[in-house]
Amino acid sequence: METLVIIGIVNGLIVGGVYALIGMSLTLLYGVLRVVNFAHGEFVIGGSFLAYVLFNTFGIPPLAALPIAAISFFGLGYVAYFLLIPRLARSDDPESMSFLMMYGLSIALAAFMLVLFEADSRSIDYSFTPISMKVGPVYVATARVVALGVTLVVAAGVSAFLFLTLPGKALRAAIMNREAIQIMGVDIVKLSAFAFALATGIAGITGVLVALVFPAFNAFSGPEYAIIGFIVVVLGGLGNPLGALAAGVFYGLAEQLATVFLPQAMAQIVGFALLVGTILVRNAGFGRWRVSR
Amino acid sequence: MTNPATDARPVMELRNVSVAYHGDIRILQGLSLAVRPGQITGIIGPNGAGKSTALRTLYGLLKPIEGDVAVDGEVVTGMPPWRFIAKGIALVPQNRSLFNDLSVEDNLRLACWSFRRDKARVNGALERAYAQFPILHERRKQPAGKMSGGQQRFLELGRALALQPRVILLDEPTAMIAPRLSAEIYEFIATLPKQGITVVLVDQNVRQCVRISDHLYVLELGQNKVDGAKQDFAQDEQLRTLIAEWVDYRIDA
Ligand SMILES: Nc1ncnc2c1ncn2[C@@H]1O[C@H](COP(=O)(O)OP(=O)(O)OP(=O)(O)O)[C@@H](O)[C@H]1O
Ligand SMILES: [Mg+2]
Repeated sequence: METLVIIGIVNGLIVGGVYALIGMSLTLLYGVLRVVNFAHGEFVIGGSFLAYVLFNTFGIPPLAALPIAAISFFGLGYVAYFLLIPRLARSDDPESMSFLMMYGLSIALAAFMLVLFEADSRSIDYSFTPISMKVGPVYVATARVVALGVTLVVAAGVSAFLFLTLPGKALRAAIMNREAIQIMGVDIVKLSAFAFALATGIAGITGVLVALVFPAFNAFSGPEYAIIGFIVVVLGGLGNPLGALAAGVFYGLAEQLATVFLPQAMAQIVGFALLVGTILVRNAGFGRWRVSR
Repeated sequence: MTNPATDARPVMELRNVSVAYHGDIRILQGLSLAVRPGQITGIIGPNGAGKSTALRTLYGLLKPIEGDVAVDGEVVTGMPPWRFIAKGIALVPQNRSLFNDLSVEDNLRLACWSFRRDKARVNGALERAYAQFPILHERRKQPAGKMSGGQQRFLELGRALALQPRVILLDEPTAMIAPRLSAEIYEFIATLPKQGITVVLVDQNVRQCVRISDHLYVLELGQNKVDGAKQDFAQDEQLRTLIAEWVDYRIDA
């Protein structure tokens, strides 16, 4: 039992790290743009497929795929911003149009991946040596330990950017007061494009991690990750990147420990119970930093 | 009548501007307004008259459905708000414009965004703000949102003035500031033209606004009810009576 709990905690941290990155990128994007990106899960899975293609076609291992995914998805997000978001401004009702548009994008991207990769589940046949490592009393796949390490580096890097650099502070400032940041002379269009690109870049990296941590993925896996991302965003407080990181880890731990203590079917609903609970009890989430409109 | 101050080209103008928030209700209805260089232009009028709307339109935060905005005689209608700082124009809006979770100092640094790479200029701007409002220096590491309402207003004022703008638009600058301090702030605003700073002052504190303004606009229902140089108000008994009734303040003849 004790070993099971330790395994649950280790897995919770690993899986939670992935959720944390998804939540952080989603919450940044929502905070700056006030757009709920329903297609975020597809961007994540796109990163998984990219790692898959890089390995299977070019023999590039997942670790080397990380920077490629980061840069190419950053660029993809930048372009996507200018293709999508300025259209919304011209609508009479940008809020509901953004829901429709991002939902449509989600379906379109899933269909696109379906055409390219068919409906089969994929996984990357890459194995690290040694294949597993001893963490305390338990063995953990090296791929998962590596994923956790990458998660820590990315989370620390993005946090340092957000909290220690002026452009990062400008990004957070835009989340706190979108009008005031424009009065400060900051070009909100450029800043929003950057936020979209950054969130998509993180999604690309997260996709590679998904391929390392989870057994398989397919063209329709996106929504699973997006939904967890939304739960994490709400738990962490809308627009609060550190809150999202904490909430992601918390969610991962809850999910993995639930599989230890609860029957399978119950474990599935833990996440939703958390979401409903948070909304009912504290609608500001973990973070006190609540986005004002 | 030739008056070099009033005949100079306006630094900012609204030309027959109409603004609507949603749908067809026009909050501003063909409003024209000119900000003369080196003066304090006061805008007064009852709640909901459209004073803040006029100021926000001047700063590009709202786009007119009719008419134009001009800076230095050049039409800039539709120019986004972030381009105004580069033109030397700063705004202190009526609603809160601070970044609550960022420190006082970071709030000031973000105001220096357009010249952020010029370290000396940034430090100069910080020093000016701290010299003007010592409380900001004392609290520089604290989150802006943790300061009192009045202190937050100081930060907003200090932030705008630190940029050494040539034009500053102030919307209710002393809202939430204790009476004695607010009197000091009006004294201070009155000295700005001597430092070469043109002021647009929207204020419910009509007494002070009328007292320090050189030119007055009285808005009502999104239109310019009456406007003129203060000496014209002073000379015209009818206008003086109107102002007196309107704002409960008699301009001395
Ligand atoms: N964001 C908004 N959406 C819709 N209507 C608005 C908005 N802001 C202001 N209004 C309306 O525009 C009109 C003018 O508002 P404005 O804020 O310009 O008045 P004001 O003269 O500054 O008043 P006060 O002295 O109370 O600050 C009001 O009727 C107000 O209800
Ligand atoms: Mg107002």
